[in-house]
Amino acid sequence: MTAYIIRNLLYTILILLGVVTVTFCLLYVVPGDPARIMLGQRADVQSVEAVREELGLNKPLYVQYFRFLGKAVQGDLGRSYSTNRDVVETIIDKFPATALLAFSALIISAILGVMIGIISAVKSYTALDNASMLFALFGISFPTFAFGLIMALVFGFWLKWFPLSGYISEGPSYLVLPMVTLALRPLAIIARITRSSMMDAMTQDYVRTAKAKGLSAGKVIFKHTLRNALNPIVTTISTSLAATLGGAYFIEYIFNWPGIGLLAFDSILKLDFPMIQGTVLFSAVVFVVINFFVDILYAVLDPKVKLS
Amino acid sequence: METTEQVYIREEGMIIDPTPKSLWHYSWKRLKRNKLAMAGLVIIALLFIIAATAELIAPFNPNQQILEYSVKPIGFKGNVIIKKMDGSELQYIPIQNIIKEDNSKVYYTDFSGSEANIDKSELKGNSQKEWNKELTFHLGTDRFGRDVLSRLIFGSRVSLAVGIISESIAIFIGVLLGAMAGYFRGKTDAVIMWVINVVWAFPSILFIIALSVVLGKGFWQAFVAIGLTGWVDIARIVRGQFFSLRETEYIEATKAIGFKAPRVILKHMLPNSMGPVIVTGTVGLATAILFEASLSFLGLGVQPPTASWGQMIFDGYKYIIAGNNWGLAVFPSIAIMLTIFAVNLVGDGLRDALDPKLKR
Repeated sequence: MTAYIIRNLLYTILILLGVVTVTFCLLYVVPGDPARIMLGQRADVQSVEAVREELGLNKPLYVQYFRFLGKAVQGDLGRSYSTNRDVVETIIDKFPATALLAFSALIISAILGVMIGIISAVKSYTALDNASMLFALFGISFPTFAFGLIMALVFGFWLKWFPLSGYISEGPSYLVLPMVTLALRPLAIIARITRSSMMDAMTQDYVRTAKAKGLSAGKVIFKHTLRNALNPIVTTISTSLAATLGGAYFIEYIFNWPGIGLLAFDSILKLDFPMIQGTVLFSAVVFVVINFFVDILYAVLDPKVKLS
Repeated sequence: METTEQVYIREEGMIIDPTPKSLWHYSWKRLKRNKLAMAGLVIIALLFIIAATAELIAPFNPNQQILEYSVKPIGFKGNVIIKKMDGSELQYIPIQNIIKEDNSKVYYTDFSGSEANIDKSELKGNSQKEWNKELTFHLGTDRFGRDVLSRLIFGSRVSLAVGIISESIAIFIGVLLGAMAGYFRGKTDAVIMWVINVVWAFPSILFIIALSVVLGKGFWQAFVAIGLTGWVDIARIVRGQFFSLRETEYIEATKAIGFKAPRVILKHMLPNSMGPVIVTGTVGLATAILFEASLSFLGLGVQPPTASWGQMIFDGYKYIIAGNNWGLAVFPSIAIMLTIFAVNLVGDGLRDALDPKLKR
């Protein structure tokens, strides 16, 4: 087990190295001079030179790269061009909002998605199954921002059930629309994967045996089928969580939810490159780290995984 | 009389088929029986026809502005005087009514209610039928007074073009790297898998947005940005396929004969991996259309005045809140949803149809 964890950890570090490198390249292939972008077109030559000196932009590219890498490892990603705040500090500030949204939405999608998937698989090829799977396909086809806008229009503007935009500090009703919007897509994906994984498991001999020896339908479904169908479902849920924890971009933007996604969008619109780098890097790191833990979880749950 | 083929279809037994045909033949047969997939195909075909014939079927030039008609509701009708062609664009003068006309001039009440006149020589055609028309805007107008329906029709071009071209880029890169990883294994595989895992770690949409910021706004930048992120899934699938194909006897035979790697890969392994690639590519096409809309929504895709659905949603959103015309954001949303839905229907159908294990 220890060897497995160490091997995975080393590989994770290798991937993180790649992630940092790509993030570095993002800023340095930008046409134009970062110092000038930072100070604006009217800045005089002396101050531009001073900033270049301070950021190390006048050094060769490989020196800059190692400098960036060294600072990134220490958790220093520079300061925002627009607010001059520390990038990492800002991201840590915004993280709770994103985490709240991501966890609440993912809990809904996991529970409903698995339920819909199980019902679909058990009642496969019936009208109920067809309707659920059409709904799921609809869920993965609806662009998040378009769905968010329609939710805002119907429930925020026409029916006035929920506020259109704002943060939870103003009341729990502010969480509803962004949460439901965010939940739709993972819900649909989880329902689809649960159905197909359950269908696969149901054709196995051990399920037939379980049925043949007269176990109740509930026991067959939950103890024998679902347990063996669980692996891809867990992967899907954790991947969805890893993806949303790095920021629910469009939803935070539409509902003005002050998380990492909104921060990322704001910095993109302002061409605030250190902040863009910071949010991109943060999302990728969250994704890689969560996947690292999920891999270990697999090894704990299923001893066969360690050997491959 | 039933033909042999029909008997085979009725009995659904492949083994008794007297004339063996290719997997594609059977797959198409199975796909044709999948009503939802066929519905998806019909929608996609219609979209292609709409995109190809946009000039003919759109009631207006999509960039034609009539500023007086800014943000009008669904089914809005407007009385206009049409001036002679100036370049390629028609010139409309919105009016309330025509007061009178004499030999040389037409007198009318303009949109704001004051009286005005225009020289007949400036008008289109000779009779009132030709220069005075009531225009109908079936889906209303946007903030520049442009016809929403026409912009929706022209917007299909952007979605389809970006979807197809960027997914082609993704398939090219994905097949190339996936095939190399799966065929050569060892160090090549390790390096390619590392690249795949690194790219996979980035949230696609943020990565695409960041790439577009770096590359600059525009049509080609959107292709490249979406293509450069979409290849990962294809590469994984091809790699997996090649891993199992390499163990088969016929691939072993090609090596025993002494075929070179490119020939084995292109002529023997790739054709046998095409099924999953097509299915993944279809899903990727849906995703690419979605990403293009997302980019345009942020103003990073195709630049105005070219009509694009994502941008229409973004522009129209303000008018949802202002309450003038909710359709401005809702219609393009439905158009995108329907397109992606249709592509996904076909993708699901293809997945079932191309799976030789499923005989249904």
